[in-house]
Amino acid sequence: MAAVNASRFAWPGWACLPRETRDTLFLLAVIGWTVLPHLWHLPLWCAALTGIVLLWRARLALIGAALPGRWILLGVLVTAAGLTFWSYRSMLGKEPGVTMAVALMALKTLELRARRDAFVVFFLGFFLILTQFLYSQSLPVAAAMLVSIWGLLTALVLAHMPTGAPSLRQAAALAGKTALLGAPLMALLFVLFPRIGPLWGVPQDGLSSTGLSNVMSMGTVAALAQDDSVALRIRFEGPPPAPRDMYFRGPVLGHFDGREWTPLQPSFPAPMTPRADLRVEGEPIRYEMTLEPLRLTVIPMLEASPESPVMEGVRVAQRDDLQWVAERPVYERVRFNAVAYPRFRHGPQQPMIGLQDYIDLPPGHNPRALAWAAALRQDPRYSQADPTTLAQVLMTQIRSGGYGYTLTPGLYGEQDPRNAIDEFWFDRKLGFCEHYAAAFVVLMRALDVPARVVTGYQGLDPTPVDGYRIVRQSYAHAWAEYWQAGIGWVRADPTSAVAPDRVLRSRQLAVPPGLVAGALNGVNPQLLAGLRDGWEALNNRWNQWVLSYSRGSQLDLLRHLGFNSPSWEDLAVLLVGAFSALTLVGAAWAWWDSHRTDPWVRQLNRLRAALRRQGISAADHDPPRTLAQRVRAQTGEAGEPLAVVLDRIDAQRYGLPGSARPDRRLTRDFLAHARRLKRMATGTRPTPPSIIDR
Amino acid sequence: MTRSARIPGRLRRRVDAWWQARSPRTDSLLLTQRNVYILPTRAGLMFCFTLGVLLIASINYQLNLGYLLTFLLAGSGVVSMHMTHNTLRGLTLHLRPVGPVFAGETARLEAVLSSPGGARYGVGLSLQDADAKTLGYTDVPAGGQAMVHLGFIPATRGQHVLPTLNAETRFPLGLFRAWAVWRPASSVMVYPQPERPVGALPPARALAGGQVQSRIGSSGEFEGIRVYRRGDPLKGIAWKQAAKAMASGGELVSRDSSMQSQQQLWLDWQSCGIGGTEARLSRLTAWVIEADRCDTSWGMSLPGREIPIGQGDAHRRQGLEALALWLP
Repeated sequence: MAAVNASRFAWPGWACLPRETRDTLFLLAVIGWTVLPHLWHLPLWCAALTGIVLLWRARLALIGAALPGRWILLGVLVTAAGLTFWSYRSMLGKEPGVTMAVALMALKTLELRARRDAFVVFFLGFFLILTQFLYSQSLPVAAAMLVSIWGLLTALVLAHMPTGAPSLRQAAALAGKTALLGAPLMALLFVLFPRIGPLWGVPQDGLSSTGLSNVMSMGTVAALAQDDSVALRIRFEGPPPAPRDMYFRGPVLGHFDGREWTPLQPSFPAPMTPRADLRVEGEPIRYEMTLEPLRLTVIPMLEASPESPVMEGVRVAQRDDLQWVAERPVYERVRFNAVAYPRFRHGPQQPMIGLQDYIDLPPGHNPRALAWAAALRQDPRYSQADPTTLAQVLMTQIRSGGYGYTLTPGLYGEQDPRNAIDEFWFDRKLGFCEHYAAAFVVLMRALDVPARVVTGYQGLDPTPVDGYRIVRQSYAHAWAEYWQAGIGWVRADPTSAVAPDRVLRSRQLAVPPGLVAGALNGVNPQLLAGLRDGWEALNNRWNQWVLSYSRGSQLDLLRHLGFNSPSWEDLAVLLVGAFSALTLVGAAWAWWDSHRTDPWVRQLNRLRAALRRQGISAADHDPPRTLAQRVRAQTGEAGEPLAVVLDRIDAQRYGLPGSARPDRRLTRDFLAHARRLKRMATGTRPTPPSIIDR
Repeated sequence: MTRSARIPGRLRRRVDAWWQARSPRTDSLLLTQRNVYILPTRAGLMFCFTLGVLLIASINYQLNLGYLLTFLLAGSGVVSMHMTHNTLRGLTLHLRPVGPVFAGETARLEAVLSSPGGARYGVGLSLQDADAKTLGYTDVPAGGQAMVHLGFIPATRGQHVLPTLNAETRFPLGLFRAWAVWRPASSVMVYPQPERPVGALPPARALAGGQVQSRIGSSGEFEGIRVYRRGDPLKGIAWKQAAKAMASGGELVSRDSSMQSQQQLWLDWQSCGIGGTEARLSRLTAWVIEADRCDTSWGMSLPGREIPIGQGDAHRRQGLEALALWLP
């Protein structure tokens, strides 16, 4: 039966489908749209499984076949879990979690039986939307996910219209109305909900995807260089400094175990280790920096920034190696103002025992480099040379020794991991900043000069966008510092010796463009650059207004509202106050609504009350015309105007053509006449007004 | 022991009394702020939990878009609460009169829902004590009316107050359930269940001076028939005989009521020939139906009550009601 149906299946169009089939297909489409952006960072099997399951479910809906049994589903689920473990060697963490969530979502569609199942799909859908933001919070992603939310709400509304054949447009309008009416509440909560730091440590998943890291091994920075995303934006007050001075200081790596560079753990007690001891001179450069969520503790400040950046909710302190470090990883986009001095000196001026840590080299590694250094030292020209002279020798060697700059040097130390530096320095002579910095530091140490690797960003986009200059992840850089008595730490960038472009004009490490990008560039580079600039300006607005809205922005807002020294308690008070006010308004409206009576009834009540004050009985069931008769009977001529008005009201309400609402002027007339009658009756006014004439 | 057991009972009676005073019986109920109730559903609680998870994830990963998502959903949830409540508030429920039924049959309730304002979607009506699956859903167009049919099977004969009805809705998002309790004022008359198969009718007696020309057999069929005349009631056509007659080229035939009117049937409690109150009532009920079907004049005598000889719908109703309400 199913086969027969399937064989003559043709798309009948949305309108011709049975209601249930259409709803199911719509939900599947929404799920597909929600899952779609995830497919890029999911393993292939998961993408394939999701696609197959969704299509299969759509086919089942179209031919009206039965859903598969629970055992089949369980089997697929177990397989998916096994594959997840096989892909990641773990079931915990962001990637395995998202993979399983997507697989579960797809499988749940095969189990859409009861309303409860539908709700599970919806809530899983909302969760998947959130996980999307872990990867990107960009404008296109936000727009795509807004469509997802709308779709899911529409499906939810459809599920609660059990009868009739509501059109998709109708349900979408109702869902959109719900969301639109909810939007002010969203804005209120977004603005006032106190931003707090992470409740507990989250897995350090972010480290692998973006930013600098506290570990440098051959190849890390090459991977970073491919990443063209924005690391930070900077705006200078006044002219920007020369590109060659744009070093953004990140993690300082002073310990080398032969394979990896890591931050140095001092082996001497604190008083004997070198201090930061920053001494600045010359003109300061003021700048405002917006830092993307790098999920790092280090704040890559422009060298050298002596003052701590002020960020709400995060304390930042300067370490002895001059890097600025936050007390916790910064997960939000932060913006702060700072001052930098391009001319500075730092570190101890006199030798101290703690510097010994910076000439440590792992024994048994790179014997040829050590021998080369020893030979250099035995050269009479250099036996007493100061570190700067020795650094010059190394720079000359790099410049004239046949070294080349490339982003794809291949792996070093494959044959013997202990001799990676030897292999680079003597044999292949190809590499990028990381290799040069590492080799430079190893050789300086072999020459008994304290030295260390500094990582960070170097350079920025040449043209400002919206007043901001962009530093991309691809500007990640590694350089070196050596110590010289009387001066302190001195920066040396060995990469500049082999690829001066990289440092002087701060061009990013160019990656050969892909096929499509290459073709596009061929069309019109200027147009493309213009489009890109416009897009980045829009993106910047989005970042500044939405994504970097933080605790600092909240407190700024409170200051604008007149709080002198706002704190998060004020935020909470404001939020609770706003909600209380809203609730009160709602309650008042409800009270008004429940006491609202029919306008006719209200009018009649007033008439009756006025008549009772005259001593004329008026029961609740008496219509105006009965009241008119009674007025005539009891007051005679004097009451005639009252009776006339009552008759007119009666005609208005019950006559043909009647009016929809009572006429307020008649009510007013009636009350005026009634007052006059009352005054006459009590004799406060001896001569009655000529009401009879009227 | 007895005292402590009694106190909750007393409390319950007081609560019940308060409750009944709060929702008086009426056939036409306007739903207002006062009689529409609303609570989150299980899905609503699940939604709250989801929001909590989303909020914690947003805080922990410092996702501003996560905050936006969470708060948008929260705002939509709050708005949906008002929309759910609004779906019921302002509706007028009106119950059409319910016709009598025999015990064991389904009484059909027809409720008319009218909305003076906007359209209402997914309004369901159900018997309070019934399964949730018996909800009858309807959409009420803006400024219009919609009808919901419900059925219930009364337990016993007699005059029954209609069961309490619930109007409920979960529109639009299903996170909240708004409901109203409606206690209709009108009642339904439940006749005793007629005996099946019908026991033999007691023999008819001829009226004084009349001549018995026809006889009512145990099957209740007449032998006295005549040719159909214009104006004969459809009920009076002897279909079986007519079919036979027409098959052989004849004409329609009617029962000859002139003869029937001359005889009368006395349905007597004592001469039922069966024991047990309900069984007798069942048999008498079946006889009344049968006699009415045959257009016979009949009277009935119950202990302490006698229904004189008569005929017609009113007479039938009188007889059946007497049987329905008969108390030993």
